[in-house]
Amino acid sequence: MRRTHRGVLAVAVLLLATACGGGFQQSGESGSTTSAQLRMLVNITPVLTKQFYADLVAPYEKAHPGVKVTVEAPTAADVSATLQQELAAGSAPDLVTGSLSTAIVPQLTALPNEPWVTDAPYAVQSKVGGQIWQVGSGTQAQSIVFYNKDAFAKAGIAAPPKTFDEFTADLVKLKAAGYVPTQTAGDWVTGAQAQMMANPNVLNTTADWFAQRNKTSVTFADSNWTKVLGVYQSWIGQGLTSPNAMGLKYQDSIDQFVAGKSGTYIMGSWLVPTLDSARLPFQAGVFSMPTFDGSPAPLAGGPSVPWSILKSSKNQAAALDLVKYLVSDKAAVTAELAAEGNFRTGFDYPASALNKEVGAIVAAARTTVVASAGQGDNSAPTGFGDEVNKLVQGLYVGQTAPQVITALDDWYTANAK
Amino acid sequence: MRSSAQRALMLGPALVLLAVFMLVPIAIAGYLSFTDWDGLTPNPNPVGWANYQRLLSDVDVRNAAVVTLVITVVGTIGCNAAGLGLALLLNRRNRFTSLLRAVVFYPYVVGPIIIGFLWSAILGADGVIANAVIPVPFLSDPVWAVGSITFVVVWSQFGVNVVLYLAGLQTVPPSLLEAATVDGAGRWQTFRAVTWPVLAPSVTVNIVLVLVGLLRVYEIVLALTGGGPAGRTSTFAFLILSSSFRSNQLGYGAAQAITLMVVIGALALGVTALRQRAEKAVAA
Repeated sequence: MRRTHRGVLAVAVLLLATACGGGFQQSGESGSTTSAQLRMLVNITPVLTKQFYADLVAPYEKAHPGVKVTVEAPTAADVSATLQQELAAGSAPDLVTGSLSTAIVPQLTALPNEPWVTDAPYAVQSKVGGQIWQVGSGTQAQSIVFYNKDAFAKAGIAAPPKTFDEFTADLVKLKAAGYVPTQTAGDWVTGAQAQMMANPNVLNTTADWFAQRNKTSVTFADSNWTKVLGVYQSWIGQGLTSPNAMGLKYQDSIDQFVAGKSGTYIMGSWLVPTLDSARLPFQAGVFSMPTFDGSPAPLAGGPSVPWSILKSSKNQAAALDLVKYLVSDKAAVTAELAAEGNFRTGFDYPASALNKEVGAIVAAARTTVVASAGQGDNSAPTGFGDEVNKLVQGLYVGQTAPQVITALDDWYTANAK
Repeated sequence: MRSSAQRALMLGPALVLLAVFMLVPIAIAGYLSFTDWDGLTPNPNPVGWANYQRLLSDVDVRNAAVVTLVITVVGTIGCNAAGLGLALLLNRRNRFTSLLRAVVFYPYVVGPIIIGFLWSAILGADGVIANAVIPVPFLSDPVWAVGSITFVVVWSQFGVNVVLYLAGLQTVPPSLLEAATVDGAGRWQTFRAVTWPVLAPSVTVNIVLVLVGLLRVYEIVLALTGGGPAGRTSTFAFLILSSSFRSNQLGYGAAQAITLMVVIGALALGVTALRQRAEKAVAA
């Protein structure tokens, strides 16, 4: 009997060890840039498809016959969740692209202090502990407002708003003209839009606001977050957001805007290719996020298609060489920029009228601030985006702005390290 | 008579599988539930009972528990009522019986994620019903959304209950039914006095199966509402996945998972015991 137990235990331990420690066998020696099999975990979107990435690396593979790149789509909810599972299983990829939290940094390879890294957009802002861990191919603009020019004309709005008071007044006019004043949705959209409203109005005076909040030297309650959520709650109260917004998915909100039902839509520059390909029944325009005092908003953005190398990769040199290609090769960078309508000085591509409008906002911005949940050391704790989303959606189900602000501060204090 | 060594040898493969695929993962989850593991660091720090203490005061956990309870209770009643009702209807032989049995079972074989997206397209604010009939906040109002999830869960699950109840109905002795008819019993009397007692074991199996299944509802919530609005439709299983992978709190997620496992185990055992007592009472 006892022998049987031992046998069972031995098999179990053996299987466990296999599951936890094994991982993929990688061909190619570490240090070789001419012979390697690289696995690349990528962020999939309507425009950044698996085929897009395959086409992106195809010229590199052609120039490096010994290097084979396998493009892998997330198998879990997103890149972060997939990477976490793969790390736990000992089967992490060599490269990863997508929005990663700073918690993942110990698993990444520090990138060299070379111009192709340091000159990349937002590379310096993404430093954690003085090192750069991810490098992007361009700048992605957030905190911009797409609008239906025909709707504005019909509502008698002469020019895009500069202040939130003007913005609210315009939304009222759009409602009177029969439009959904500002398009939103459930999903992740509600929180993302709130962040896009807040970031330029909070980080404009305190660029390292997230880093300061991590040390509790600032709070949501004493920042413009309070004003932003007050405005947002007033919009809900006046019926200026989509009716039944929480029953809409992200794609639904795009469809509504594309169909010409909405006057405005707060979103990021990645929406441009979708609008360009949609044959809109109206003329679309874009303006930067209004501010409370009417001063020009800083550009809230982040690195587009950011690349990182996993520390566990057996092909460090090849992975680094591929990343260098992806963020500095003219054709590769241009392809990445064009796919999402992103920007980078010195890399031009044929742009649509709408894309040029976004480009004008990017070019005109006097300062830049980090978008979403921040960058590098100036980042919110993991899960902040989900929490903001959940709490802001609370405004639709009976919560008040002060309650949401209090909950945000409580969550942040409990989760900041 | 086989020797104990032979018995052990025959049991061995099953025990190994059980250990590797159930007991060991549960033990690992149990260990992780006492740590602050974020899923990334190689050496998690022990935190004692902190994760379990946090469970007791976590508003999200409380909300998820209520949502899960509502879906489980209403869903279990719904699945069994619909399953038994349709089984009684389909227990007759006619040319449509086989087709109808296949139709009612069909939703069960479709993946829950697909079902979630299908019903999202029907019930969503921009969905078929809202555009064609009347804009009801099926997915945008928390109460309606929980109701919608429950309905979709029942719709997707009850097919298997129909099949199980049909199997149970096959065991009702025709002689007893004939005797009841001869005695002048009506349909309801026949069902109550003859069919229902024979069905008692089937009822137990159906209740326990549905109960355990509904306590773990995840995919339909993910596809239908994503836990929204404002996290008000998060089920316990959905919350576990959110805590674990979206917030990098695998230690806390493991504590939630262990708690759910204990609750499921306790409920399954409790319901089974209650049903067995009821079966004995009926048999007597």
